[in-house]
Amino acid sequence: MTLKVLAVDDSKTIRKIVSKAFSAYDCEVVEAENGIEGLSIASRDKPDLIVLDITMPVMNGVEMLGKLKGQPDLKDIPVIMLTAESGKDNVMQIVKMGVRDYMVKPFKGEQLIERVMKIVALKPKAAAPPLPSPYFSIVDDIQVLSLPGKSDRATLTEIEGDFNRSLKTMATAGLSKIILDARHVKEINMLVIKLILSVVESCQKSKVHLRFVGSPALGTELKGFQETSNFSINASVEEAKTTF
Amino acid sequence: MTDISKLDLKGFCANSTRSVFHTMLSMAVSAAEADPSMELSGSKVVGCVGFAGDVIGNICVHVSKEFGRVMAAAMMGMEVDEIEDDEINDVIGEVSNMVGGDMKSKLCDAGFPCVLSIPNVTSGRDFKIESKGWMRHEKIAFQHQEELSMVEVFIKFIA
Repeated sequence: MTLKVLAVDDSKTIRKIVSKAFSAYDCEVVEAENGIEGLSIASRDKPDLIVLDITMPVMNGVEMLGKLKGQPDLKDIPVIMLTAESGKDNVMQIVKMGVRDYMVKPFKGEQLIERVMKIVALKPKAAAPPLPSPYFSIVDDIQVLSLPGKSDRATLTEIEGDFNRSLKTMATAGLSKIILDARHVKEINMLVIKLILSVVESCQKSKVHLRFVGSPALGTELKGFQETSNFSINASVEEAKTTF
Repeated sequence: MTDISKLDLKGFCANSTRSVFHTMLSMAVSAAEADPSMELSGSKVVGCVGFAGDVIGNICVHVSKEFGRVMAAAMMGMEVDEIEDDEINDVIGEVSNMVGGDMKSKLCDAGFPCVLSIPNVTSGRDFKIESKGWMRHEKIAFQHQEELSMVEVFIKFIA
């Protein structure tokens, strides 16, 4: 299960360093700029871990920690404090408030991860599946199949075979979304339609979510087939991504 | 309580600045004695944090705008030409927070309890920060390759 981490710091740079530190692991990092925002996100998302700065405007980290510990549904979320102040009084104060650990800035992302691993288990991210041919790419967690502008029967047969093999590697990597990008196809002939119908059928069998990108003409063609009559056509990969 | 005039402010600043540059930016800087009249000319960015309590004071980190951009790129893991001005300000503010936080901790441990402000950042061309009436005022110059930067400390005993 993806671990949810809340990074609360008024510095965009520090939030970025924290996010980057977790990027190799199966984690979702959400960010807040101050204690008020942090409390609100903590209540909404119930993160598995909070990385909390002390010196912040609006509401500082010590105040946020106090409020967090006062809420029964949030008080057990482990907190690692980040502080620029290493003085013993400061450290004693935050330790007494029930933080699980603290880090004195300056710090490196790897040092933060070492501390986190003592509190929660971090699972490395699954490696991206190997791409079967130049027509395939990965955008975020979505596999994109971009059909070439002109293609003959042999090329389309090769793409179909690669596609079916890629479904297996996608399943292993935990990917379940595909965008078929046909914007560059110059001629929508029966060979292209046959490939598209085959992709639709394979996606349905593998329970993979499919979206189309292409011209309005392609949309009209696809309306004529029972298998594809309910699909909408998106103008761009970015637009298609938003429809999942 | 230590006598404030005996605190090694230059040593505190030099160590914490070197540590921040080394850890956060993977950059080596060497500290040097600064001329009391030293100022950075041209376009520059200055990050300051204040501390208040039994002692009051400020720590200001002065860097040229261009070096600020190089520092921001190093800290954020980006290319220099991708860096926006607000990212330079954020990084210089954070560096001053870390240097100031370390100084504040040293002061507290030496018997001068105080609290730290959030950083403020000023950027512009050919401006000068003047501050009067302090018991101690130290300037420390830092060099990374050809780039010269400066950390300035102002401090006064109150209690």
